Amino acid sequence: MSAQDKVTIRMVPTGVPGLDEILGGGLPEFSFNIIAGAPGSGKTTLAHQIMFANATAERPAIYFTVLGEPAIKMLRYQQQYGFFDQAKLNTAIRFINLSHVVLEKDLGAVLEEIIREVEAANPALVLVDSFRTVVRKAQGAVSDVELQGFIQRLALHLASWQATTFLIGEYVEAEIRDNPVFTVADGLLWLSQQIERNSIVRKLQVVKLRGQGSVPGMHTVRITEAGLQTFPRTFGLTGKDEHPKGLRRLSTGIAKFDELLHGGIPEGDSVLLAGPSGSGKSIIATQFIAEGIKQGEPGIVAIFEERPGQYVRRAATFGFDFDTPQKNGQLEIIYLRPLDLSVDETVHEIVAKVKKIGAKRLVIDSLAGFEMALAPDFRTDFRESLYRMIGALTRMGVTIISTVEIEDVFTAMALSNFVISFLADDIVRLRYVSLNGQLRRMLLVVKMRGGAHSIDMNEYQVTDKGIVIGKPLRGYRGLISGIPGPWNAGPADRSLSPDESAANP
Amino acid sequence: MTNVFPAMQDLARRILAIEAARANAADTQVDEAARACAKLQEPLSRFTGPAGFFSLLSRALVLAKAEVPALRVVQVRADGSLAGFDEIKRDNDTVKFEIGGVVLVAHLLGLLATFIGESLTRRVACDAWPDASLDSTDLNREETP
Repeated sequence: MSAQDKVTIRMVPTGVPGLDEILGGGLPEFSFNIIAGAPGSGKTTLAHQIMFANATAERPAIYFTVLGEPAIKMLRYQQQYGFFDQAKLNTAIRFINLSHVVLEKDLGAVLEEIIREVEAANPALVLVDSFRTVVRKAQGAVSDVELQGFIQRLALHLASWQATTFLIGEYVEAEIRDNPVFTVADGLLWLSQQIERNSIVRKLQVVKLRGQGSVPGMHTVRITEAGLQTFPRTFGLTGKDEHPKGLRRLSTGIAKFDELLHGGIPEGDSVLLAGPSGSGKSIIATQFIAEGIKQGEPGIVAIFEERPGQYVRRAATFGFDFDTPQKNGQLEIIYLRPLDLSVDETVHEIVAKVKKIGAKRLVIDSLAGFEMALAPDFRTDFRESLYRMIGALTRMGVTIISTVEIEDVFTAMALSNFVISFLADDIVRLRYVSLNGQLRRMLLVVKMRGGAHSIDMNEYQVTDKGIVIGKPLRGYRGLISGIPGPWNAGPADRSLSPDESAANP
Repeated sequence: MTNVFPAMQDLARRILAIEAARANAADTQVDEAARACAKLQEPLSRFTGPAGFFSLLSRALVLAKAEVPALRVVQVRADGSLAGFDEIKRDNDTVKFEIGGVVLVAHLLGLLATFIGESLTRRVACDAWPDASLDSTDLNREETP
């Protein structure tokens, strides 16, 4: 069938940030949907948000309340959210209590009452909360076939009257197979709360949606004073143009480092800067951002271990003014330390800032801090989340430096604690080495996906001007172990003294 | 002295005045209160169900009786209507009727305002008396001690 022969299904926007993307554009008009989940998962709030986004005086919404939360309590609590518009009450939005009908009469009377109200009001949206209680009341009195017949008649009638319907109910996942309402439904949105240790994480899954491609998987949900916000696993970047990588090189702000990288970091690359505490990872990252600002390339710093004020003051000790570029819209410092953070929320924040200032450079300082800020449930998926995050951001043309702290051991040289080296286009390793009775610092470029790079292992120093890279360390065996010995027998320590190497910035 | 919000008393007085203007000369103020409560029953039942309206009105009556003992004979029927006014009528104390009616309706509105806020309460009242200009009533004044 050609595209022009297909029926055009209009999409109903949900009014929930991120949810339309998850659904594949919105909810199909006149569809019969279920919003399911455990108590407290946000079902009623989601239903209200959709209702307030779509109801008009001409095509109102009817909200049938049954044996669950009465409307007076819904109004009490839902008016606390930003989406609540009291001007719509009793004009665009009408609440009807069906409790007495459900309690005193049979399913036929319930159907008759709903039909009567729908035919009188001509609503665009019909919501029944909680539909589960309607079914539960009926289950003892009617057969499964009769129950399915009731649901089918309800669905058919509401669709015929051109209403998009939402049945809200508390269900458990085991019911998906057997409950007739799930068979009839066109769409099934499942909200859940996952508890791990002291952390609670809200998630949403589109279990079923007829006729369109929704984004599979569990999407993070957060409820704030604005209402529900969803964070699509696609980070809102589906269908966006990809920026080709490596068309030019970005200077790190450290000339000698750029040389080791054979001209700087390829644009759009993800760089892993790995090293122990005090090795200067954050300083290199700071210089990378400062150089970007100098070159007219706005930057973002996502920090997890210190506050923005501290970060700016520390940058100032190396001679970098980060106050002015923040005021000029060239720099955003994102400090993310809420409880139970998800990677998706973090990326949402970063993507918003990238779009806002047109950022070309991003520093994540550090991955360990990032992981610690996540809810435990998300920590288990950290690798997978990083994979999606780095992929999404580099597709936007952003060049990323992520710092990762590694505890140096003096028998081997690890590249990361997260087994994420494959995610990085480029890996730079900093480490301590014991030379001539001194604990000195050494830098080496381990990997550059975009091409050749120096294979030297250079000594470097942390000075009050930033990182100063010295000459290659030669004449040693076992440098990467951190405890080198002479390459040849005899006193062959040919490394530079700190004073000699400082003369080579 | 009543404890309900002064704004609710103002609104109750206006509602009862509207009902009085529409009533026969033989009706009393308390009857107007009963009619006002009956008019509020339909929109409130939409929010709370018939059982919820019964609970709200029963609570309002208990609060009102504490302030106006003459209301002690008034009861809420199972269908949400008020009974017992005939007995009060026989006492023929107009002042008590007026005060009792205002206090009862004010408490009912006050309970509603406690749950859904004064602004939405005003909208409910406007829906029940669409011809009246109740929205001009200042419901935003704070409760006085």
